[in-house]
Amino acid sequence: MPSFLLLLHQNIDRPKPSSPDEYMAITKTYMAWTDRIRREGHHQGGQKLTDDAGKVLRNSGGRVSITDGPYAESKEVLGGYYLITARDYEEACKVAATSPHLGYGGRIEVRQIHEL
Amino acid sequence: MAESDALVDDLFRREAGKISAWLARLLGPSRLDLIEDAVQDAFGVALARWPEDGVPERPAAWLAVAARNRALDRLKREARSAPFDEAAVWRLGFADPEATGRLYDTLALMFVACHPALAPDEQTMLTLKTVCGFGVKEIARAYLATPEAVTQRLVRAKRKIGELGLRFEIPEGAALGERLPGLIAAIYLLFNGGYTAGEGEALIAAELCAEALRLATLLTEHRATATGEAQALAALIAFHHARAGARTGAAGEMLLLSEQDRSKWDRALIARGFAHLAAAMSAETLSPLHLEAAIAAAHAAAPAFDATDWPTVAHYYRLLEEMKPTPVVRLNAAIAAAYADGPAVGLARLDALADAGKLARYALYHAARGALLLRLDRRMEAAEAIDRALACPLNAPERAHLERRRRDCRE
Repeated sequence: MPSFLLLLHQNIDRPKPSSPDEYMAITKTYMAWTDRIRREGHHQGGQKLTDDAGKVLRNSGGRVSITDGPYAESKEVLGGYYLITARDYEEACKVAATSPHLGYGGRIEVRQIHEL
Repeated sequence: MAESDALVDDLFRREAGKISAWLARLLGPSRLDLIEDAVQDAFGVALARWPEDGVPERPAAWLAVAARNRALDRLKREARSAPFDEAAVWRLGFADPEATGRLYDTLALMFVACHPALAPDEQTMLTLKTVCGFGVKEIARAYLATPEAVTQRLVRAKRKIGELGLRFEIPEGAALGERLPGLIAAIYLLFNGGYTAGEGEALIAAELCAEALRLATLLTEHRATATGEAQALAALIAFHHARAGARTGAAGEMLLLSEQDRSKWDRALIARGFAHLAAAMSAETLSPLHLEAAIAAAHAAAPAFDATDWPTVAHYYRLLEEMKPTPVVRLNAAIAAAYADGPAVGLARLDALADAGKLARYALYHAARGALLLRLDRRMEAAEAIDRALACPLNAPERAHLERRRRDCRE
């Protein structure tokens, strides 16, 4: 069964939760979603990434240059990813569509992992 | 790996207060800002990790470690522009994350938040924020203020606390005697704010009451703070909060004591109230709180409204009126007299209060007159009184109640 990478983009200016109760509510929705896709056999893994631009390395004229990541100038960062199992893009998108990330104003990019 | 179902909704809120108190002991109360940020960050870490890793086995200690680490990060970042607080870093490093939630620390934090240098509403707001783990939005709803206004007040309050250079402790000796009444007054205010919250805010009102009950109970659990007044406060709030579930009808309308379904009263909470009242009465002082608690107890003990021991209630109100002759107490004393000695007596006492304070702008005053006039079958005057009550500021359930009363006048 093919694997898909869900890239969770989010706006860095999004309002942060303002209280422990709000953090709790959001944590619960993400946990419930992850629990569910795990039960349904889609979930392979995932991580939250730190809210920064990251670094980009390039080889220019034989030297490796390191610059701030592509998100330095943008309002969006790659906030995290999930690795899931699905039959095809259609099913992968169906799974991604139920993610609470969309409800909190984020954007999800779905990419299939190349297989042998 | 624990699933999300294992999570209780108020886990973060509960732990926020405990971890804040723990960090305040380690870093000192002048660092409330840094502490709040570190605690908030810790919840961010939980949000990032728990969906993948599951709920940790000991979530409270896990959150304490996360908050401690964020506090350390912040201290190190500060060190770029200010002298490095090495002692604080050591204290944090060696602190036991299983040691959050100590009664002493929570009480010490309450004494900080309720410092007399702060205005009364600053005290209650700061208590809600740091001790109870409420957010700015929730506090704003409770105080019918904008979040910006609440934030401003909190910033000012924390700045004042920072400037005072307070020690993190439960005051001892004479200092305790000076400070404890202020703490009790702040919890009373919190309870009162919850008990009479503004329009359509029944939910937040119940939460404020619950918090006030929790804090008052904490006072009674420590030898230094378990005074007669603290016991009386815990009793009073327990009796009132026991009725929370019976106070509104099916359509959200407010129900008077006489209309409430007493089977919905929380009997366990009433029993707790009586235990606190007994402890309060064995103390040597008699405060207004003792009398308010005794009055609430008389109502809690009555199996039905008609079975209320009104002579006792009226007697306590007379004593209370002598100690605390505020317009509202005098109003309630008059109402109790009406039940004990008949509507004509009560009405005469209410009419004698017509010029007292701001009662003329107080809906309950006119509503009470209306009710007594109705009992005396003086319907025209009753309707007039209720119209005056309806012209006062009211919350939605109160308005609905009075409109029903107004219709009774025509029947």
